[in-house]
Amino acid sequence: MQQRIPSGSLKSTKPGAIISLIFSLLLGFVLLHGCKKEEPSTPEWHATPYEIDIPYGFPTNLNIPEDNPMTVEGVALGRYLFYDGRISGRSDPDSMMSCGTCHIQANSFECGINHPKYFGGFPFGVTGKPTPHVMLPLVNLVWNSSGYLWNGLVSNANSNPAYRNIEDLVWMGIVAEHEMDSDTNLSKQLIQNTSGYPELFYKAFGSETVTVKNMGRAIAQFIRTLISANSRFDKYLRGEVQLTPAEIQGFILFTTEEGADCFHCHGGDGNPLFTTHLFYNNGKDSLFTGPWEDPRDRYHITGDPMDLGAYKATTLRNIAVTGPYMHDGRFATLDEVIEFYSHHLVWSPYIDPLMHHIADNGVQLTPAEKEQLKAFIAALHDEEFLTNPDFGPPDKFPDEE
Amino acid sequence: MRSTIFFLLVTILFNTGCRKDPPGETVSTQKLILTFDFMIDGNPLQRDTLLYMNEAGNQYMVNEIQYFISDVVLHRPNGDPVLLDAWTAIHYIDSDLPDTRRWEVYDTIPAGSYDSVSFTFGINEAKNQSLMFLNPPESFMFWPEYLGGGYHYMKLNGKWLDTNSVVQPFDFHLGIGQIYAHYPDSIIGFVQNYFTVSLPNSAFSLPANGQQQITIVMNIENWFRNPNTFDFNHWGGDIMQNQEAMRLGCENGHDVFTSIVAKQGSIEQK
Repeated sequence: MQQRIPSGSLKSTKPGAIISLIFSLLLGFVLLHGCKKEEPSTPEWHATPYEIDIPYGFPTNLNIPEDNPMTVEGVALGRYLFYDGRISGRSDPDSMMSCGTCHIQANSFECGINHPKYFGGFPFGVTGKPTPHVMLPLVNLVWNSSGYLWNGLVSNANSNPAYRNIEDLVWMGIVAEHEMDSDTNLSKQLIQNTSGYPELFYKAFGSETVTVKNMGRAIAQFIRTLISANSRFDKYLRGEVQLTPAEIQGFILFTTEEGADCFHCHGGDGNPLFTTHLFYNNGKDSLFTGPWEDPRDRYHITGDPMDLGAYKATTLRNIAVTGPYMHDGRFATLDEVIEFYSHHLVWSPYIDPLMHHIADNGVQLTPAEKEQLKAFIAALHDEEFLTNPDFGPPDKFPDEE
Repeated sequence: MRSTIFFLLVTILFNTGCRKDPPGETVSTQKLILTFDFMIDGNPLQRDTLLYMNEAGNQYMVNEIQYFISDVVLHRPNGDPVLLDAWTAIHYIDSDLPDTRRWEVYDTIPAGSYDSVSFTFGINEAKNQSLMFLNPPESFMFWPEYLGGGYHYMKLNGKWLDTNSVVQPFDFHLGIGQIYAHYPDSIIGFVQNYFTVSLPNSAFSLPANGQQQITIVMNIENWFRNPNTFDFNHWGGDIMQNQEAMRLGCENGHDVFTSIVAKQGSIEQK
């Protein structure tokens, strides 16, 4: 039965009064809600923000993705995962592999020529397949916005969102034949079933469910804390120590075109990262096609012929412990590297224009100058970074607590 | 009557309830847009190809250009010149980074007519301080402390065909020069090589609440001529520690830059 409107309720009301009523309601609504901010709902999960202290002279812009803010809990989880061989999806000690298997803290998170397993600093995967290039150090990467790997494949410029940042290097390392050669499903299942980890994932990301994405996020957060900024040269820049005369002479050689001419690509007093993170053909070879083609050089990312034979300029921080050198590890020692830049550059049409000493096959350093340059480079050694217990393997893994 | 009052109330609330701007203040919205271009011999720069011949007869290519301008001044026919954001407006231009080639000036610029535009090529002595730019790409322009500190005014990198018909790299880098007691050691003084550029034909009008675009064009070939013929075969591939070569380059810089003032209504959108 249709409900009847009581007679006289609206019918007897004047139109002006109705409009007034509507405006009254509107006014009330406006007064109540016009400028009021939404009350935040109380979150059940909360992670503690992790603040990165910017060292003196370092960039203030950090490469931290918006969807992976740094947290204390995320960094702590990332450290466990970085060193836990079960991330490879294997539990047999003979075939387990972690990031820390190859990235050795004492070698600036590179393999190093003294690695007990990877002789000469040439790593290989669990099946014995060698890596196409030698390693790059994991140091000060929170300031790298120009792409990761020797050719910058992993970059915000990559159209494929799976290849954008440090986070993505984790799944890549798990599945790469020349690294863990595994399956990400096995990895996350093993981590999920390891006691202690679900709780750590909840603390870091608000969910006990282990995902490859969150594994990558946590490890990336840990890697972003690996900051080296306390070498003798850093202390010199901060006015805390004086360099030796040999170090000073080496510094001058490093930062002058008529000296060793390192600074345009490898930084200096105005760029304490000691790299631009950019890509250069530095005159190692003259042939880049046919049998000499490297499908992992910069050219194969950009398609620009000027990038043939170009690779990332590595940071020179802790460089003494990060041999072998160049993308293919062709030089075992710093002496060989300095000798190369001094006398053995090779001309090609693709050599970077910054390599203007090519006409003389190099910068032509004297023996004394080579020693001075080495002395300065040694001043970029940061022992505190290489031994910081916060960056080393945990005493116990979560299931051992 | 009551409805009218309510209507007015609601209208007032909607219009003023959350506004932060102080009432009665007129905000000027006219905007100046500076864009940057590179040309050689009257044509747009084609990089990475030995297409060009300078006045000395060197066949050459350009691979990349990075430079700073600062102290941009807008000169008025009858009035004080307008200095764009006195300390902070040092603008970096990079041939590889399109974003750097468009500068939307956010200063409040009085509407009206302007006779010309001038700027400093590079950075003046007072402002050119080391570690002023901490972030790339500007920080990559640092000029080593030993050589005078601060930042490169310009890196113009390319290659030329030398007398042996070999393509050799050149780094035409300009910045603070050095005076040596014994080259290349024993620096006893520095030379500030920055200079003022007065853009020819840069008169423009900035309408109230409108915008004006001016394109600053670097005519690259002029770095190597007028009044000095710059020969790569003579000066070689690097000049940061060669004040005489930098002096010649900077003297040539007076007519390197020209301007294109966009017609009103034809402003390029980003």
